[in-house]
Amino acid sequence: MRVVHYLNQFYGGLGGEAKAGVPLETREGAVGPGRLLEQVLGEGTKVVTTLVCGDNYAVEHQAEVTASVVEKVREARADLFVAGPCFEAGRYGMAAGALCSAVRSALGVPVITGMAEENPGADLYREALYIIDSGRSAAKMRDVLIKMASLGRKLVNKVPIGLPTEEGYLRRGLIRDQFVTKTAATRLVDMLVAKVKGEAFESEMVATSFEPIPMPPAVKDLSKAKLMLVTDGGLVPKGNPDKIEGMAATRWGAYRIEGLDDLSGEDYEISHGGYDPRFVQEDPDRLVPLDAVREMEKRGMIGKLHPEFISTSGLANPLSNTRRMGKEMVEKVKQEGVDAVILTST
Amino acid sequence: MRLTLAHHPITEIQFGAPTRLDGTSLVVDPEELRALVLEDESLTSVDLEIIRPGESCRAGPVFDIIEPRAKEPGSSPDFPGILGPPLTAGMGTTHVLQGAAVTVLRERAPGGSRGPIGTVLEMSGAAAEGTKYSSLHHLVVIPRARSGLADHTVQKAYRRAGLKVSVHVARAALGRTAALTESFEPVGPAEKGREGLPRVAYVGQIFSRQRKAEVDEAIIYGANTDGMLPVLLHPDEWLDGALVPSYYSSLGGAETYFYQNHPVIMELYRRHHARELNFVGTVATIAGLDNEDRDRNCRVAGHLVKWALNADAAVLTKYGGGVPHADMAETARLLEGMGIRTAVMVSDMSRDRRVESALLFNYPEVDAIVYLGGNDTRWNAPRADRVIAGSPEMAEGLAGPIEVGALNVVGVANQQGASRLRAVIY
Amino acid sequence: MEKAGIPVVQITSAVPIAKMVGSNRVVLGHGIVHVTGDASLSPEDEKELRRELVKKALNALQSTDKQG
Repeated sequence: MRVVHYLNQFYGGLGGEAKAGVPLETREGAVGPGRLLEQVLGEGTKVVTTLVCGDNYAVEHQAEVTASVVEKVREARADLFVAGPCFEAGRYGMAAGALCSAVRSALGVPVITGMAEENPGADLYREALYIIDSGRSAAKMRDVLIKMASLGRKLVNKVPIGLPTEEGYLRRGLIRDQFVTKTAATRLVDMLVAKVKGEAFESEMVATSFEPIPMPPAVKDLSKAKLMLVTDGGLVPKGNPDKIEGMAATRWGAYRIEGLDDLSGEDYEISHGGYDPRFVQEDPDRLVPLDAVREMEKRGMIGKLHPEFISTSGLANPLSNTRRMGKEMVEKVKQEGVDAVILTST
Repeated sequence: MRLTLAHHPITEIQFGAPTRLDGTSLVVDPEELRALVLEDESLTSVDLEIIRPGESCRAGPVFDIIEPRAKEPGSSPDFPGILGPPLTAGMGTTHVLQGAAVTVLRERAPGGSRGPIGTVLEMSGAAAEGTKYSSLHHLVVIPRARSGLADHTVQKAYRRAGLKVSVHVARAALGRTAALTESFEPVGPAEKGREGLPRVAYVGQIFSRQRKAEVDEAIIYGANTDGMLPVLLHPDEWLDGALVPSYYSSLGGAETYFYQNHPVIMELYRRHHARELNFVGTVATIAGLDNEDRDRNCRVAGHLVKWALNADAAVLTKYGGGVPHADMAETARLLEGMGIRTAVMVSDMSRDRRVESALLFNYPEVDAIVYLGGNDTRWNAPRADRVIAGSPEMAEGLAGPIEVGALNVVGVANQQGASRLRAVIY
Repeated sequence: MEKAGIPVVQITSAVPIAKMVGSNRVVLGHGIVHVTGDASLSPEDEKELRRELVKKALNALQSTDKQG
């Protein structure tokens, strides 16, 4: 089995944060944790190429790095692409996730990586990839590599993959059917009996939990506050300059409304595949209530309306995507000194 | 209340006369059965077929599957409210032709979510391994209705045909010594000698008001459930003919066979006998028509469990899709609020195989969930050597090879608890 | 945004969804296809409806009672 291994500058032995700007380098054979990887993958396995890249470089030049990595993996005729493990390192995790996805979709080569659950790369890629839960501590390198090797080998050999608890990967949040020995009735009564006795039981369905968000404080004096309008109804200027997708949007935009008292349908379009857009097209104030808010600004009820509104399209979006966009919007809102937001949702 | 099942194992069904049990071979007289079925003026003719386990055979669309059972004279009636007066089911002795089934086909697929072939009986191959029905000897009844009749009239005729045939053939066992008899220890909220064991109830939906029940649609003691509030039933009533499924099979499936052999009730009885728990009774309920109906049903069901059965814990199952799913969860939430621990059986309804899209309720206290699969399993079923179709037009389509989903193969994704197909989160 | 401490009021016609995902200040909108409008009203009445909705939203922003 031929393996290509991706490492960041630190695990690649180039140095710490000071070397984070180093471009992609290619080494023959195993480097650093790659030697251990080769060992745990066992007889007949060789790490033929190690690719090392600085964390900043990988994030800032993602397209370029991705293209070269795919090319190197192809040249190496790899059977398996391994990235990391990245533990908690955020940029490393993001790069590993992006590269694994790209290699698998471009070449069909099996891929495996490892990260801590808290790594932002895990949030973004756990659904698409098998990511071994590395925990936060690099001291567990050997254990993590053993799990990565075992799962990687199964992927190469197209062996059915077990559950997260058996294989050690982060729960992807996907569903598949499986025949089991016990009937649903037996499992149901088993579970109830365990619950009544106070014994441990494992529910077969786990809800995606939305942890409660503490309520932000009230706006003390609206007449001094800066207000912003935000919508997830997909209202964009004609031509959709930011190319916001009508479904599973990955982008959002901020659009000037300075000096406007009213939105006109002639200037806007709707990029949202989830509702009948005719009414909003006719009058965008039906989604972004600029006319009413502007009146209240003029009457002094609101201190100031921010001269842009933010828009994206909320339909069938993976949570990880939505979270990222939310974080980006928060940055923008804070930068602009906005005190409060009216969000209109279809 | 005491029900005794007298089991007569069946290893073969053959045509002959007169109808009788010949050892473990069931001989049925087709002429006699034809006359019996055609007593119903809605039907013009009927075909009968026999299928053996393991045969390369596909039959469909399936209307219902029934275990042939007949009551000993002097016991409660057979299918009270449908074939006899609506007296309490579950009394006396019931003769069971174990290993046999009466399977009724429809002339047309019911449409809707089950697609153009409806549900089919698969007797061999990979799909057959997922269903108990492939291990049974089937007497297939293919009734043909007079043209121009209303749908519900036709289905009522199918229903009666299936039940009458199953009772008639099972009467062959009357007066014969059973290979095995099984008596159910009395259960009930007041049974003595079970102090200290957790008191467990079963709450089962028997219909969903997403569809209006037909006026002649017998579901519980011959009644169509219209206007019905949740009701207490003794477990033996479920097993002994008080209930049959709706004319339209539920999303995920429910057949008379699995009321007669109700997997959840049988499992609770097993644990009751093993003194693991105290099975105190059951509540039959309905998924609501709207929010008011839902609140009413969920609360009444909850209170029956609490105040009539005095239960500590309950298991809940649904009948159908999303609305039943949500109503069952609401009932469980109310029970938890009254200090009654629950476990529920849901089916996977996600369209994109993703957990975050699958959630129809999110109550932290409803945390013991059995998750039925079905959406994600399809088989490329080979051409069957023998095809038994409800109508000649359907025969070619059924012959195959066809791609069938788990929800189309009767018995695979059963909501009464028979299913071994689990939706796994990974 | 609420996690970041920014007061947000959400005007939506799908209140249960908004609540499920944890929105604290929710105002019921006027239908999915026109959250802050109603094509069946005269332009004047429609604008009045919009004013009312925005006022409700502003009130919610100035309060810490759970809305919606």
